[in-house]
Amino acid sequence: MTIPAPPIAATQFLGTDLDYAVILIYFVAVLGFGLMFARYTRSTRDFFFGGRRFAWWLIAFSCVATTVGSYSFIKYSAAGYKYGVCSTQSYLNDWFWMPLLLLVWLPIIYYRRVVSVPDYFEARFGRATRVAATAIILLYLLGYIGINLYTLGQTLEALLGWRMMTGAAVTAVAVALYVYAGGQTAVIMTDLAQGIILLVAGLGLFLAGVWHLGGFGNFWSLLPEGHRYAFSEFSHPDKFSFAGIYAQDGLANTGAFMLMNQGIIMRFLSLKSVKDARRMAVCWILILAPLAAIATSGSGWIARALAANGELTTEPKAAFVNAAHFLCRPGVFGFVLAALTAALMSTADTLVNATSAIFVNDIWKPFVRPNGSDRSYLRVARVVSLCAAAAGLALVPLFARNQSIYQAHGMFTAAVTPPIVVAILLGALWKRYSPAAAFTTLVGGGALVALSFVWPEILVRPFAFGMGPDSYKFMRALYGLVVCGTLGFVVGLLTKPRPLAEIAGLVTGTQLEAMRRFKGGEVNRRPGRKCRLTVTVDPGLGDSNIAALPPSAMTAMAADPGDMLYACDTRWWLGGLRSVHLRAGDAAEEGQIRIGPESAAIAHFTDGQTVVLEKIM
Amino acid sequence: MELARVWPIVCQYGIGAVLGAIGIWCGIRSGYVDLSDRKDRRLIWTLVGGFLLLLAAVCVFTFWAPFWVRGGER
Repeated sequence: MTIPAPPIAATQFLGTDLDYAVILIYFVAVLGFGLMFARYTRSTRDFFFGGRRFAWWLIAFSCVATTVGSYSFIKYSAAGYKYGVCSTQSYLNDWFWMPLLLLVWLPIIYYRRVVSVPDYFEARFGRATRVAATAIILLYLLGYIGINLYTLGQTLEALLGWRMMTGAAVTAVAVALYVYAGGQTAVIMTDLAQGIILLVAGLGLFLAGVWHLGGFGNFWSLLPEGHRYAFSEFSHPDKFSFAGIYAQDGLANTGAFMLMNQGIIMRFLSLKSVKDARRMAVCWILILAPLAAIATSGSGWIARALAANGELTTEPKAAFVNAAHFLCRPGVFGFVLAALTAALMSTADTLVNATSAIFVNDIWKPFVRPNGSDRSYLRVARVVSLCAAAAGLALVPLFARNQSIYQAHGMFTAAVTPPIVVAILLGALWKRYSPAAAFTTLVGGGALVALSFVWPEILVRPFAFGMGPDSYKFMRALYGLVVCGTLGFVVGLLTKPRPLAEIAGLVTGTQLEAMRRFKGGEVNRRPGRKCRLTVTVDPGLGDSNIAALPPSAMTAMAADPGDMLYACDTRWWLGGLRSVHLRAGDAAEEGQIRIGPESAAIAHFTDGQTVVLEKIM
Repeated sequence: MELARVWPIVCQYGIGAVLGAIGIWCGIRSGYVDLSDRKDRRLIWTLVGGFLLLLAAVCVFTFWAPFWVRGGER
């Protein structure tokens, strides 16, 4: 998720009534599709984490929709038009973070049942750091919702001729309604659909352009040579140099996206197991993200080639829309614009759900109503979803009227991202990193980055590799990472760390302890295989998640009593929508699995149904 | 070849290798990654393979593809 660029200027709607109809149908379909999943949300675990039951491929596609943010098509096609293939750099930075994410951070948050970054900070450092992180992240999220709705309203105004507030309000209402009803499950399912739509539309547009130009060779030849490189030059131009993009996007933003983005954390926690999280990350980052890079930038490259061929004249910011309008027939153009709105909505819904999770888990539960029932927390979560969308919408006219507030949020984001990334990294990697060091990194580091807006020539220039003020926006990230890292390291050395016993499972070297706590006993890592059994709902098992299994199934799965299991509908394409986590218990008749009515209700299983069972841990 | 086009590869993949090595080292040293387990071994190979695949792609788009026009002429 990248910070949206300033909005484009309004233009006349280029499409026909048919295109308009396609977009409206799309809006209604997404809303209806999201509302369909309301019945799968019975608890806060469902509302925030989709019941922790989904398959890797489903979450991978939904993450693509979330990654392709509100302004990606416009922003990256403009960069593709101006600078060429190197516009993909932002999407291809993520793989380097995978080992840290998959082998350190993910096992910590998944197995320690961490629900947010502030929650991790309290467990790792104490309450003061949690409060600081909660305030920062909540401000960031609310402002971000506002900016997304603002850029979204501007885009719809430019594309459809709607008034800015109308576009923002329609989208906010649609998103708020399906998030309110279906929570994370609705977000994941709508994002799955939107991820597929935006990939099909973006890649289809690129391929249509290549075909129109007479093949890849012709297309490639029409691009200027400087447009054919994977990276722009190291420190040129100031506004799009490699060093700037890498410092801001490859290090600070990608680090933040992988480690602190609440929406992405919630998506990882929605997976049925850590094993699925590994598959999901590989599919998402190695396969789908490069495709998304081509989908978002490709129209810019095509527009450039069409311009070189004398067939199209366009401004960079309008490259996507003009290339789409040039290449698509009526109706298809509407579909491409629907993909653009898909990118807009799929980011907004994730932010709304994430804001609700932070409010409930980091403010309401610990400070306001510590002993409330899950039902009451779910009610609050739903109301907060509506409030978050409303608050974001209320910020839209503020951003529109006062560009300095828009820029202030950009500055705020730039100021808080490096401290939080550094605090998470040091917290997860270094046992000596103390609560005082973490608090100093967050507050002191944030203040030092904020000062760089006052004295950029003194503080940022030494990190700019000889580039001018146009590069400071990017190079501030490098400055922030260096000063926060230094501050955290020095204070960490000078202050007393928490005893290892208190931070077990929260820092590298103790991932196995986190696994033990998650399971409530020694971890069984013996490899087993899946098996198919017939469900018998046994009222005697009540609300427990214990499952009675035949000895043959236990042997096949290499499972011991007490091991964690996952039972799923045999229809793989449901992606785990109908599934439940269980614990291996007593012996049952051959070919059968006996589960309690509560587990059957969670999974939507019926008596006599065949399910696939596997050992999770 | 201009060094201004080569330094980005050195920088991105150099820092990337360090980040990746830290992650893999932490995973193995903690015992979380069990190298006797086929799935864990496959994960490590995937992480390394993905790195090399991306490196190969940027090398193609730095040393060869920019000069490729119509039918492979340089």
